[in-house]
Amino acid sequence: MGLITEKTPIAKVQPVKFILNWGRRYSLWVMNFGLACCAIEFIAASTSKNDFIRLGVIPFAHGPRQADLLVVAGTLTDKMAPALKRVYDQMPEPKYVISFGSCSNCGGPYWDSYSVTKGVDQIVPIDVYVPGCPPRPEALLHGIIKLQEKIKDEDIQEKWLANTPAGS
Amino acid sequence: MPTRQLAPEDIEARLRAQFGDDVTDVVVQHGHPVATVTPTRYHDVIRFLRDDPGFGFDYCDFTSAVDWGDAGMEVITHLFSTSAHHNVRIKVKLPADALTLPTISDLYATADWHERETTEMFGITFAGHPQPVKLLLAEPFEGHPLRKDFTLMTREAKPWPGAVEGEEDEDE
Repeated sequence: MGLITEKTPIAKVQPVKFILNWGRRYSLWVMNFGLACCAIEFIAASTSKNDFIRLGVIPFAHGPRQADLLVVAGTLTDKMAPALKRVYDQMPEPKYVISFGSCSNCGGPYWDSYSVTKGVDQIVPIDVYVPGCPPRPEALLHGIIKLQEKIKDEDIQEKWLANTPAGS
Repeated sequence: MPTRQLAPEDIEARLRAQFGDDVTDVVVQHGHPVATVTPTRYHDVIRFLRDDPGFGFDYCDFTSAVDWGDAGMEVITHLFSTSAHHNVRIKVKLPADALTLPTISDLYATADWHERETTEMFGITFAGHPQPVKLLLAEPFEGHPLRKDFTLMTREAKPWPGAVEGEEDEDE
């Protein structure tokens, strides 16, 4: 987040806010948390036919510490959930999460399973849900565009204050 | 090591000759002999099948279990010979109040993880197992999910929307 804290009101100035949000939404380093078949669709969306790099989404960040966007693609089990939380916690602010596919949205076909986490939003906050089983790459492109619209309108100072515990 | 595939009847005859009444039942399923043995001789039967040069069962395919409700559980171990290409399945019936069986992970390393999975899924104890901890489930998990009486909380909240397998005819 750098200088953009509650101490720098410059982030409230409309042109600055516009430029910051513009920069963020077209430079999303993405971390693929691929857990099942949805991860294959994610990879398909990154290759030349669909090519989400043209939207400014840069795939295969070297690690969560270099990533801005986390795509949870696949079936999250209760045993895997702590690992997802850990990856999310390692990502620097501002960070965004896309829940990709029915399994990560709500459990999907494993809605009555004893081991599957029914909804990744129990573990990490989700910005955009992409439905489908698995969703086509076009659905991920649509989800990315929805996320970019969200980033365009967001107030980074409010997001920072909302994520910062009071008094720290 | 044998290079000729043994007929299921040959395997049955050798097992019966060696263990007598401890082999309680043998049937042939899909061309494989399926022998039911008593729990006390389970380890001896597996060791015999592995070590007897006439068999050459050098590969343990899987160990798993079946929950028969009040009738107890059944542990199934499948062995295969990579040289002679014959199979055998050993079944052991366990009463519901004595779900304990000696481990065969000292005979086949493959059985180690299969027995850990069987333990967590069915609650069957394999005595003498070198590492009796959960394999697939998260450590705080309570219960044995593949038992018939295991309660799925989501299904308690919302019943299965379709017909249960095998009950389609009753609904019509």
